[in-house]
Parts: sequence; C-alpha cells; structure tokens
Amino acid sequence: MSDEQWLSALQNAKKTAIIQDGKRKIHFLMEDGKEMVEEYNMDTNVLVKRAWKEKGKLGQEIGWVVEVGDPDLPKDNLDAVGIRESSSAPIVARRITKTALEWRIRNLPYPKDVYSITTENDGTIIVRTSNKKYFKKLIVPDLERAGLKPEQERISIAHQYNTLIITYKKPPKLLDMEKKVFNMLSQLKVMKEGDVQCPTS
Amino acid sequence: MSIPASKVHEVREITRIERIGAHSHIRGLGLDDSLEPRNVSQGMVGQFLARRGTGVILEMIKEGKIAGRAILLAGQPGTGKTAVALALAQSLGSDTPFTLMAGSEIYSLEMSKTEALTQSIRKSIGIRIKEESEIIEGEVVEIQVDRPVAGLGAKVGKLTLKTTEMETVYDLGSKMIECLMKEKVQAGDVITIDKATGKISKLGRSFTRARDYDATGPQTRFVQCPEGELQKRKEVVHTVTLHEIDVINSRTHGFLALFSGDTGEIKSEVREQINLKVSEWREEGKAEIVPGVLFIDEVHMLDIECFSFLNRALENDMAPVVIMATNRGITRIRGTNYKSPHGIPIDLLDRMIIVPTVPYQESELKEILKIRCEEEDCEMSNDALLVLTRIALETSLRYAIQLITTSSLICRKNKNIEISVEDVKRAYTLFMDENRSSQFLKEYQDNFMFYESREQSMELA
Repeated sequence: MSDEQWLSALQNAKKTAIIQDGKRKIHFLMEDGKEMVEEYNMDTNVLVKRAWKEKGKLGQEIGWVVEVGDPDLPKDNLDAVGIRESSSAPIVARRITKTALEWRIRNLPYPKDVYSITTENDGTIIVRTSNKKYFKKLIVPDLERAGLKPEQERISIAHQYNTLIITYKKPPKLLDMEKKVFNMLSQLKVMKEGDVQCPTS
Repeated sequence: MSIPASKVHEVREITRIERIGAHSHIRGLGLDDSLEPRNVSQGMVGQFLARRGTGVILEMIKEGKIAGRAILLAGQPGTGKTAVALALAQSLGSDTPFTLMAGSEIYSLEMSKTEALTQSIRKSIGIRIKEESEIIEGEVVEIQVDRPVAGLGAKVGKLTLKTTEMETVYDLGSKMIECLMKEKVQAGDVITIDKATGKISKLGRSFTRARDYDATGPQTRFVQCPEGELQKRKEVVHTVTLHEIDVINSRTHGFLALFSGDTGEIKSEVREQINLKVSEWREEGKAEIVPGVLFIDEVHMLDIECFSFLNRALENDMAPVVIMATNRGITRIRGTNYKSPHGIPIDLLDRMIIVPTVPYQESELKEILKIRCEEEDCEMSNDALLVLTRIALETSLRYAIQLITTSSLICRKNKNIEISVEDVKRAYTLFMDENRSSQFLKEYQDNFMFYESREQSMELA
C-alpha cells in the first residue's frame, strides 16, 4: 500500500468525530466495510489509540483488536477459551510519540544484552533473545501504509522495570503523511457529546 | 462420605470405557468395488438388495450433484433399517455431514416443528471453506495440573511450550486439561492447538527426546522442534454446516452457543442473508458446498404439517439427501384421519425411492449374533449360538441380542469362560420376550389391577 491509497481510504471513509475525556475520538467506516477507531490527545495531537473491529470469515464477531495503545485485558473466563497465555507472559503494547513509533514489551525480566532486534525484508521487525526465551515478529502497519520498509539504523532499545522499549524514529515521509491525516481529521465537524451514533454498515 | 465419592470420580476418569451401542459393530455397507454386497462384511449381513440400493445412493451423494432426493427404508422391526442408514453414514466418511434424528425429536416446547426440521436440514449441508485460524504449535516442556484439595471443583493447570526461539507458559481451562489428558500429551511431545476450536493434535515426539529411556512404540514419530513464534496464523480448510453459520450469525456471543446447545429459533432473515453470502462465496470460488444426509428414523412419527413442509423443502436446490425409515404398514397419517402406506402421504411417497428390507434368514441371524458376540466381547460355544439363533428366529433378533451380555454375565458368575447352552437357557428363563410376556398377561389378567373382565365391560355397554 502506498501513502496515497491510505489517505484516500481515510478520505472516503464515513467519519464520526467526538471530543471526550480530553481526546479527539474518530470512528471510521471504510468503504470495504471495515471499522476503525482512532483517539488523539487534544494537547499534543498525537495518536494514543487505534483499534480495528475484526470479524471472522463466517461472520462471527472477534471484537476490537488494538493496533496502537494498551491492549484490552482478556475478560472472557479461562474455561470458555480453554487456553491462554499466563498473566506473567510477555505482552506487547504499541505507542506512537511525536517523533517515534514505540513498542513496549512488558514482563521481560532478562538483561538488556540478551535482546537483538533486526529488520527483515518482509517489512517486519524481529525481536530475538539469546537465551531463547522470547521471540516476536512485530509488524509495522504505519510504515506499510506509507509504503516504507523498516531501517535498522532507526531502531534503538532501552530496558527498565522488566520492560523492553523499542523505539523506531519516524522517517520524514511518515511524519508528512501523519500531518496530512491529522489536518484532514481536524477539519471534521465534531459531534456533541452524548447521543452520538456511528454508522456501522 | 466425600472420600469414596471422589475415589469413584477418579477411577472413572482413568478408564474411559468405549460404550457399545446397538449398532456399534457397523463400519460400512460391505460392498465391493462394483457395488456388489459381500456376504458378511464390515458388520453387515444379508439384506443384499437394500445394501446394493444404498450403495447406488451412496454414489449419488458422493457425486454431490443431486439435491433434495428422498429415500425411504421400509421394513419390519429388526430388519436392519437403522443399520443400513448408519452403514451409509460410515461409508460417507467424517467430511460429509450426516444428521441422525428420530421423528419424535421435533416435538419440543422450545421451538416449532418446522424450525426443528429446518435446523436439522441445515445441519446436513456442509460448506467447505478456507479460513485463517490461530494455532499454537510447540514442544511441550512441562504440563502441570493441580487438583483441588476437596476433589471437587475445576482443575487448574499450566502448560509450558517452546519453539527453538522462545518459551511461554499458558494457563489451561478444565476442558483443555481433559483434552490433553485424553490425548496423553506429555513433556517432549510436539503438539498443535487450534485456538478457536480447542482441538489438539499431536505431531510426534521431539528429536531431542529420542534418547530418553521411555517405552516408545514402533509407531512413535520423531519431529523437529518448531521454529519461530509459538502462535501462528494458518490457513485451514474445514467443513462447517449451514446451521453452524446460522448460529454464529444469529447471536452476539457467537459460536459458544453451539456448545451449550441453546440455539433457540433462528430468524429467517438471518438464514436468507447467509444463503446469499454462501452463494457469493461459491461464485468466487472461496467455498464449496458439501451436501450431506439427513436421516429421519421412525418417520411415521412426523405429522401432516411436517410432511407438507418436507415436500416443499426438498425442492430447494440446497436441500440434502433425506433418508427416512419406518416400520409401519398402512396406517393413519399423524394429525389426520386418513390412512396411507407407511403413514406417509401419497404425494410425498411419490417423491421417494423406496428401499425395502426383508426379514433375516436363519443363517444370517447366526452371523449377526456372532458379530454381536465379538462386539460385546463374549465367547460363545457353537451349541449356544445355535440355540440363540433359534431363539432369534422364534422371538426376535433384538431379544436374542439382549441375551448375549446377560448370559455372558451368568456364565462369568458360574466361573466359566465360554457361554454354554445352559447359560443361554438360564437367561432365557430369567428374561421374558415380548411373546411370552403377553401370553403371561393373557393368562393372569384377572390378577392385575384395573382389569375389566369381559362380563363387566358387557354390562357397562
């Protein structure tokens, strides 16, 4: 996907905007029927949450899948799902700051020199551990939408409080695209708080 | 009190008994490649014409072109109608949906008769579809199950899985623990778990465990420890029935309703939408329709409304092949005062092909009893088998089959291994067949309650 495609997809989507709890929340209904929600901080104009409503092929509801922001805690009980990762297992949360894309992997107690982060040709970033305890393929939807591949030299890592923080400095093309998107969204008519109905189909 | 109770619970869990049903000896129709029935094969004996006919029907179903045909298996009680239908189901394989229902199943207070029929019709049509599903694939490092102290309540467990690159601990629900136990999963096995359905499959044992001093059978397969991430998305082809898609789409909480069995009535709009979607998928080549078989046993229990509904439903091009069985002759159609052959209206009968089953010959009865002895794990002497065959001929096959396990128990109490004529005789005197029982009632009618003697009823008249 190139940046124009993504911009036009957003342009053609049915959008509903609302300001709530100091955040600008926008609901998108794309032309292909997909639903997305974005939340922007009013002070910094930075995206704090982006989630997609996923549906199975047979029409079963999967629910909201969080792309950026803290993932929802699993609320269904264990007997219904049968198996799930233990609460002490590492968990990835994505964040976006003004200048960088960020991944925070919590519950990783190993020292910093264990981790190696590499970019791959298929547009993903892989986290490896030399003690073979953790491995994760991170997809980078933002770069993909801008038509870019991740570059190794933009990555930096930090480790503290059992959390591995991977920072990817945004390339100028991505910054440019984000600016265009935000300009488009800031011109949206904001609905009054209360009885706002988002179109769902 | 609680200690023996928990003990019983445990014993039951360890030894899972395979229960033997009335037709569990049937494994197929027993036909050769040219559809000629073999004399004794796959648990089927005799009934050559019916088996041959069903074999032709089987080919028709496999071709998958013909929708909405109805077949009637008609014959006296105990002539193998259900056996033929079950044999058909077995030969179709697990990928073709086969729904078995009894005619009286449709009478429920929770849903209307036509809804019950529609559901079972839609249960009999499969859709083969490619779907991406999330699986967990890894080598078992450790499996740990904690039993609650009281012996009651849900078990909790942890499963540690690894790949060459990573290791993760999973929490297990009680159902998943049971599945893992059933599959006898242990450390060193490489397994995959389908996250959506919870299906576990063992791929083999890890190569790193090849030197363990485990008692490994010759069939043990050794596989490499998987690479990369534990959770992967994989495209799998699976067959779902139209009914399952209906249920998924009719409720917000989705497919879990399938497991609880609480599906209720499904709105016709939902069904229409799904039909539309399925035909769309079909045109795009994303899905394939697998027409299955709906078997209605005791079909004379359906009433006139159901019959006219079936008439209409069979004309739909998405209809499955419907097989019905009845043991009635000319009798009243339920819900009317009219009589009709098999208790089925003539117009529906006209749409069916009728496969008759005939009473078994003596030699065939003997073969069936022999097969049942094997199935019920009883050894029987030749003489006893002959006596039993005689009993089957004079009373009924079902009664004779009942005597197998009973006489084997008698034999075991007498500390014998092989069932003798004496044991069968003893069982025969202990348990009455239908004929002797009615004879007995006729003789001693006066001694039973609420009996009106002939004179009394005359007076009343």
